[in-house]
Amino acid sequence: MYLKIIKNDFKRKKVITSTVFVFITLAVLLGSSATNIIANLIQSMSAFNLAAEPADITQMHVGDYDQIAIDQFTEAHQEQIAMQETMELLTIDGVNIHFRDNNSFAGTVQDISFVVQNTEFDFILDLNNEKLNVKEGEIAVPIYFMEEYELTIGELITVVQGAYKKQFVIADYARDFEMNSSLSSSKRFVINPKDYGDMLQGKVGEREYLIQFKLRENADSKKLQTEYIDSGLPANGPIVTGDMFLIFNALSDATIAIIIILISILLIIIASLSIRLTFLATIDEDLREIGVMKAIGLSNKDIKKVYLNKYRVMSVVAGIIGYLLSFVVINLFTSNMRLYLSSDLSGSLKYLLSLVAPLFVYLMIVLYCKKILKQIDKISAIEALRSNIMVRGKNRKYRFPLLQNKFFNTNIYMGIRDVWNRFKLYRLLILIFAVCTFIIILPLNLYNTMNSPEFTTYMGIGKSDVRIDLRRTDTISEDFKKLQEELQNDPGVEKFSAYITSSFPVKNKEGTWDYLNIETGDFSVFPLNYLNGRAPEKAGEISLSYANASSDGLNKKVGDEVIVEVVGEEKSLKVTGIYQDITNGGKTAKAHSSLGLNEDAVLWYIVYLDLREGVDKVKKMDHYQNMFVGAQVNDIQDYKKQTLGNMMNQLNSIVLGGIVIAGMIIVLITALFMKMLLSKDQSQIAIMRSIGLTSKQIQQQYVAGTLMVLIVGIILGVLASEFLGEFLFSLAMTSMGAARIEFIQIIWQTWILCPLILIVIVGVTITLCCKATFKKDLSIVLRG
Amino acid sequence: MTNIIEASNINKKVELDKGHELHILKDVNLVIKKGEFVSVMGPSGSGKSTLLYNLSGMDRVSSGSVVFQGHELGSLKEDELAKIRLKYMGFIFQDINLLKNLSVIDNVMFPALVSKGVVKNKVLQKARKLLQMTGIDKLENHQITQASGGQLQRVGICRALINNPDIIFGDEPTGALDSKSTEDILSILGEISSTGTTVMLVTHDVKVAAKTERVLFMKDGNLVAEKKMKKFDHLQDDSKEREESIMKWMVKNGF
Repeated sequence: MYLKIIKNDFKRKKVITSTVFVFITLAVLLGSSATNIIANLIQSMSAFNLAAEPADITQMHVGDYDQIAIDQFTEAHQEQIAMQETMELLTIDGVNIHFRDNNSFAGTVQDISFVVQNTEFDFILDLNNEKLNVKEGEIAVPIYFMEEYELTIGELITVVQGAYKKQFVIADYARDFEMNSSLSSSKRFVINPKDYGDMLQGKVGEREYLIQFKLRENADSKKLQTEYIDSGLPANGPIVTGDMFLIFNALSDATIAIIIILISILLIIIASLSIRLTFLATIDEDLREIGVMKAIGLSNKDIKKVYLNKYRVMSVVAGIIGYLLSFVVINLFTSNMRLYLSSDLSGSLKYLLSLVAPLFVYLMIVLYCKKILKQIDKISAIEALRSNIMVRGKNRKYRFPLLQNKFFNTNIYMGIRDVWNRFKLYRLLILIFAVCTFIIILPLNLYNTMNSPEFTTYMGIGKSDVRIDLRRTDTISEDFKKLQEELQNDPGVEKFSAYITSSFPVKNKEGTWDYLNIETGDFSVFPLNYLNGRAPEKAGEISLSYANASSDGLNKKVGDEVIVEVVGEEKSLKVTGIYQDITNGGKTAKAHSSLGLNEDAVLWYIVYLDLREGVDKVKKMDHYQNMFVGAQVNDIQDYKKQTLGNMMNQLNSIVLGGIVIAGMIIVLITALFMKMLLSKDQSQIAIMRSIGLTSKQIQQQYVAGTLMVLIVGIILGVLASEFLGEFLFSLAMTSMGAARIEFIQIIWQTWILCPLILIVIVGVTITLCCKATFKKDLSIVLRG
Repeated sequence: MTNIIEASNINKKVELDKGHELHILKDVNLVIKKGEFVSVMGPSGSGKSTLLYNLSGMDRVSSGSVVFQGHELGSLKEDELAKIRLKYMGFIFQDINLLKNLSVIDNVMFPALVSKGVVKNKVLQKARKLLQMTGIDKLENHQITQASGGQLQRVGICRALINNPDIIFGDEPTGALDSKSTEDILSILGEISSTGTTVMLVTHDVKVAAKTERVLFMKDGNLVAEKKMKKFDHLQDDSKEREESIMKWMVKNGF
């Protein structure tokens, strides 16, 4: 019996039922996919971790080092350190590495190193998570480069430096737990020990060392780092910890999963709103039927069951379809993960975990329906049978009389006043339009923000044209001085500023010493936007990155003091400002040049410069690149793109996806809403037609009303994406070191193009819906 | 007198199920002259209302032609028909059919306000005059939920008259009213007719027909007879005789 009623109901309301069905299916599809992605991510990260056995502490170092001293340190800290291995790297300038016809890696911002596979831990793997075993004459290329330069297995890579020239055949991809991500600025190419020996003999590249430690469980990593540095062991490069690699590896896929979950939740909300809309329409149409059911003695519970069963059946069927489809579309979302992290989720776990989404959606829908259906309790049999009674006797204040209209055509005015008079009905639509606008504008704002020159602010650097990094060589101090002199005398350079970052011992909140990378220089040349306070301007001042100032770091605010040890002497520096920085794990600091250097621990030399107008940037960059062989000269925009490239590309897809999804939702919801509204207004429309209004005039009323609702929705959506979106994004970025990201809005996109697209979509949908409805025979409606 | 409507051999068929048709109007020929006060009577299902809707262009005939003041309605598009209704026709329904979300005065003014080239003040004056004429001027700013059935039907009449139509169609305009309200409405319709506006009513109430000057009798989709009477005169008040005469005539024609 119930099944028969449900079947008839489906037949009667094909469009509405199908639309709600599509939404539920999509919500389950995306929800299942997201759960699957997360499960995949967790499992592949753990499998990757297990196979690669990454180091827990990696100390980078350039120059001489004493392995015996390191071994002694390891021996002395046996209760903390499980294994130690020092990996030697040959860092080669991208200019010297060629592929295909005259192409080289010259433009990359990544440091390229050639290495031999480790023996104890931190293994570099192939795409099957097997330890790479590279034969003589072969090379395994990091996935980042394989993708970036579209390299394929079998292609040749030639290393040329001075008299040394050697061709390598690409034999495999190198999946590198520590340096996979574009966010980590170095990449390791794996070659055979014999070829590596030849390179050493040929004096190719610069030698660097990764002094790596694998810790025991419960070891105190932070304490060990400090003890290591205090022991005077080689430590002139940055220290990177294992959790940083984990974040870098998971970041882009986790972001995608979170965005998909967000869209899925929005879809559940939209599906629920559609059900509410449908119910509002149905209850009106079915009022008499409800009355009859009540009159013949059916209990409220039984009547609700009729409605509820429909949505139960719908949710179950949509849930099954969405669940099954998720296994088809999951490949679209996990291609990046499959390449960078692991092959595939194995076993039955994914089938079980993906079940969470359909079950959750089913529960949400049923609970929501139960809530709406409570309205049935309020309707008495008499009221329902004599539905006109419900209209009679309601004496609401009469608003917007026709003569008050001074500006609009009467039909447009009728449409607008209808929104006010039936605001309860339209507010659902406002909410849906706002959500759709949010889906489009948020990723767009994100994309524009990351694409804007101002984004460098969040990377701890002021707005500038070019960045020159000097690599550590024996002549680095002279090179750095020479570079500054050269820039000083270059008429093409408008301004420049040089910065040196070195590692200093700093007293932490527990009163012990941690090492902190402090950049010194003149920060007034390329000013940063500070979250609080200002840049250090004179001696005794320091500014901290957000992550450093937070409770996880030094726990300082503007005005506090920071104790830094400079050349054996404790100095107290006053915190003048807090800035945002997502580079180097977010923990950096800036101090006035007068602080001096920690000669033993200078990490890097950087120069930022702006060119005068009309100066050819590429030529100028080439000039300095050729003059300083060990330097890396990058266009700031290029630098940013290469560092954030992966995320930018994914964002690009999300912007497009957002527009398509929002477009689809808007068309479906508008059609659903119009169908409901027009069927509700059927008699009123017939009256207007009988009076002599043309279908165009009536259409005008609906278009005007709905567009007004759309405009309100757009305004709310844009504002929400600006404020709420900004807040959410900043929250997400806090862990990376940027706590207050201000979105860059491109006005013509957010306020003109997107609204225009939405207006056209909605306008066309309403017109088509009206056309279909107005074909109905007038006399039949009027005569009931 | 010139003709306002000329209907020739009109048929109306409606498809019920596959292969089953209902023939509602069968070869109806009819001419309505300007200024006439006409009523259509007949048993339920005889096609009275269908005839009215087809003559007014709200429904389309299956065959035959309806010419309204020189316009062949069958050849016109929906929107052209709508314009003719707005400008030349007024409608009064049994269910009254007012717009729910408009007040009394706004309902009356609405057809004028959506017409081209109207002056709002003049529309307001006209609407007030009509409300006064029908005796509901005190309800001007009331909402329609605050009025009785008889009052609402008067609002309907005012709305039908706001654009100075050439013809008023009424589909059982007193069908849902009590006897007092019926009397009032009929007297208003009589006044409208006396100003030269054509009025055509469908009714099953002989009292209503007795107030008109030409009665058409329909049976099974055919226009079987018509009866002409002299104009009804309130002063003379020969309603009873007129009613009896119509009844006898209908019985004679198979009622």
